[in-house]
Amino acid sequence: MNHMDLKPGDLGKPAEQLVNLHDLMPLSFPYNKMGMEPDFPEVKPEWRKKYCTSLDGCVAIDTLTRPQNEREETEFIRKFLNGLEKIFSAANSGVLQPLQLSFEYCAKCNTCSDACHVFKASGENEIYRPIFRSEVLRKIYYQHFTAGGKIKKKFIGADIDINWETIARLGELSYRCNLCRRCAQTCPLGLDNSLFAKEIRKIFSQEMGIAPTALHEKGTMRQLKTGSSTGIGKAAFLDMVEFLEEDIEDRIGRKVMIPIDKQGADILLIHNAGEFVAWPENPAAFAILFEEAGVDWTLSSETMGYDSVNYGIWYDDAQAKKVAWQQMQAARELGVRRIVIGECGHAHKASGVVADRYTYGEDKIPVESWLPIMLELIKTKRLRFDPGKNDFPVTLHDPCNMVRQMGIVKPQREILQAIAPGFREMTPHGVDNYCCGGGSGFAIMSSPNFGQFRDKVSARMKFDQILRAFSDTIIDDTIPKYVCAPCSNCKGSIREILSYYQATEKFNVRYGGLAELMVNALVSIDKPYLEFL
Amino acid sequence: MLLSISVIAAVLLFIGLSVNKAYQYAKMPLHGRMELYPVPSEKGRHKYGGSYMEEPEWWSKPRQVSKASELVDMMKEMLFIKKLFDNQKSLWWISYAFHLGIYFLMAWIILLIAGALTDLAGAAVSDHASLWTAFLYYLTVFTGITGWAITTAGAALLLIRRVFDAVLKKYTTPLEYFNLLLLLAALTSGIAVWGTDLTFDHARQVTAGIMTLSAAADTALVIHLILLDVTLVYIPLSKMSHYVGKYFSFHKVLWENEPNISGSQIEKKLKNAPVNQVSAAWSAPHMQVPPAAGTES
Repeated sequence: MNHMDLKPGDLGKPAEQLVNLHDLMPLSFPYNKMGMEPDFPEVKPEWRKKYCTSLDGCVAIDTLTRPQNEREETEFIRKFLNGLEKIFSAANSGVLQPLQLSFEYCAKCNTCSDACHVFKASGENEIYRPIFRSEVLRKIYYQHFTAGGKIKKKFIGADIDINWETIARLGELSYRCNLCRRCAQTCPLGLDNSLFAKEIRKIFSQEMGIAPTALHEKGTMRQLKTGSSTGIGKAAFLDMVEFLEEDIEDRIGRKVMIPIDKQGADILLIHNAGEFVAWPENPAAFAILFEEAGVDWTLSSETMGYDSVNYGIWYDDAQAKKVAWQQMQAARELGVRRIVIGECGHAHKASGVVADRYTYGEDKIPVESWLPIMLELIKTKRLRFDPGKNDFPVTLHDPCNMVRQMGIVKPQREILQAIAPGFREMTPHGVDNYCCGGGSGFAIMSSPNFGQFRDKVSARMKFDQILRAFSDTIIDDTIPKYVCAPCSNCKGSIREILSYYQATEKFNVRYGGLAELMVNALVSIDKPYLEFL
Repeated sequence: MLLSISVIAAVLLFIGLSVNKAYQYAKMPLHGRMELYPVPSEKGRHKYGGSYMEEPEWWSKPRQVSKASELVDMMKEMLFIKKLFDNQKSLWWISYAFHLGIYFLMAWIILLIAGALTDLAGAAVSDHASLWTAFLYYLTVFTGITGWAITTAGAALLLIRRVFDAVLKKYTTPLEYFNLLLLLAALTSGIAVWGTDLTFDHARQVTAGIMTLSAAADTALVIHLILLDVTLVYIPLSKMSHYVGKYFSFHKVLWENEPNISGSQIEKKLKNAPVNQVSAAWSAPHMQVPPAAGTES
């Protein structure tokens, strides 16, 4: 089907695949030539048989499988409609007012479309238009919950067939939005289309028990069981910290002690535990910086005390609340004065903003970002830098959760100005930034073929921004170019796109966090900290 | 008399139903934080989208809030629809003409009431009798002509754009076309009635008639006033009541970043009604597991 002809009411129409992703947004130089990026791989027949590939050929929800009989099909639809009713009830009180506003007042002015990086990167494919998803949900709601005959339903816009394909495709479509909320920033009525994506995910998870394995089973469920979505238990975590201390000594030639479970410390630093596995140089950098500045800090080895992630905020409020509560509990038991979140954007928002109203009084320990603290350590000269050590082009990615959704904009820039003479902004940046394409779980969702959607579509705009930020030196592969992404998920997404487009191999584009870049510029350290130097 | 009463009732219903709409939104439970930056009340940080969370130990420092800055941004939205201007200029021209026209028409109605009262007090509104009557006279003419012209042109263009823009057309329901057509019917019937006397003396007389419950009307005026009555009552019941919704979506969602710190208003509210109580009403298997102590307040 030509996507230009698609209307929201067509979502349930019979078709093996509603749209194909052939006309993606062209990339900037040097990726503006044919053959610079791989094509979408074919959708395997067994995937078509098992999953819902009928939207765009990609599968985000690997637990959403096709029904075996009519009874399963009917049950699937019934459960969705039950959930749809619940999101507008007291069972969803934490979001009722914003949801009702966005549901009721959209003027269909289409201002949001130009703000959406997924829509633009897809070559303006109709199904990714922010109001497409919302309008489908309205149509289903009015179709099922409004009294009246066919004529009345058509009049109010309830012209949609509610069948398995409609609901399943809508479920998949809820995972074609990064929940970056850039569209909400432009809405003349202050409405938020990403809310619908989130609410559809919630219906699937909280009512139907269907959520991507990476987010639920291997995400929040595993975190609640083992303490971390990585599956790292306490013993393994302690081993990793020991390894980290040895690694630091190897890297910088001096011993740095990493405090663990220090009762009554000023700061409990919580990292995204994925850092210990994928980028140990990042927690190591924090340890070096905090020790050098003489900060009274600690890590926790208690279950739920060493992993700041909270995937629940992307798809399931109950899971979000359980995780946040137990993280707070772990901090309370340690008797720390404040919780500081390391380089993880969604953990910033989960602990600092989403969980802000989960509890109150003595149950609550203040939460803050690591960025203002680090800037203060620079301003008070407790950390000294030689910016000449970072004499290569550096650009900054703004994690949506930290910047657009928390207003932490300046500290990271002031830090970069102090340590990286080659710093240049992306366009646009700050609160107007584009998502890395890995937001709301995409960075960790790859199976069976969702990784390609992320790399080719949702992260496309970010990749293009990176190319434009380095346009002066991109072609010179002797010059390393550093994408500074102070967020684990963003870093994961950027790692994937640099690998997918072979940008490191061909053009020496590197990526990493901000703490590593700071350590690399420390006056007190002789050897380069960044491995590519 | 019936006609006069219907107009007064429609105005009262418009106000009452709008207030009720606002009340329905206001009494909804406190929701989780969903602010989006820039938040205008962030003193000194608003311009670049910063917040108090840029401060180390932000909870221990006095919050720098600027209500003036919030007011300025609110006025930019109310008076100029700034978000639309910034993000979709081609639609802004049309939408702004329509909305600005409504403001002019509201001013026109107030001036008509003031003029009718002046007339009833014995000082006939004209362009020369006194400063006050001349003021009323010219301002009524200006707001009336401008208001009717740009509101109607705006509504017509909004409809035309919706019909001919392939994207908007796809997303517009018959009900949404009906909304625009109803507005256009009320507006064009108004032009037909009031357009024959651009001094608006006749409009002032009709206003005085309505106020004294003695409005006399010909068929055209009856049709116009009935359409106006229906539109006034219908607007707060429809999505055209976004003048209510917009207040909440900005002030209570996007710009509401009040932290829950000890002794704060938010803390008091939470004590009375905890936010985000995820109800056991949900049916997925993992929702049936009793939450750990304390996770459900």
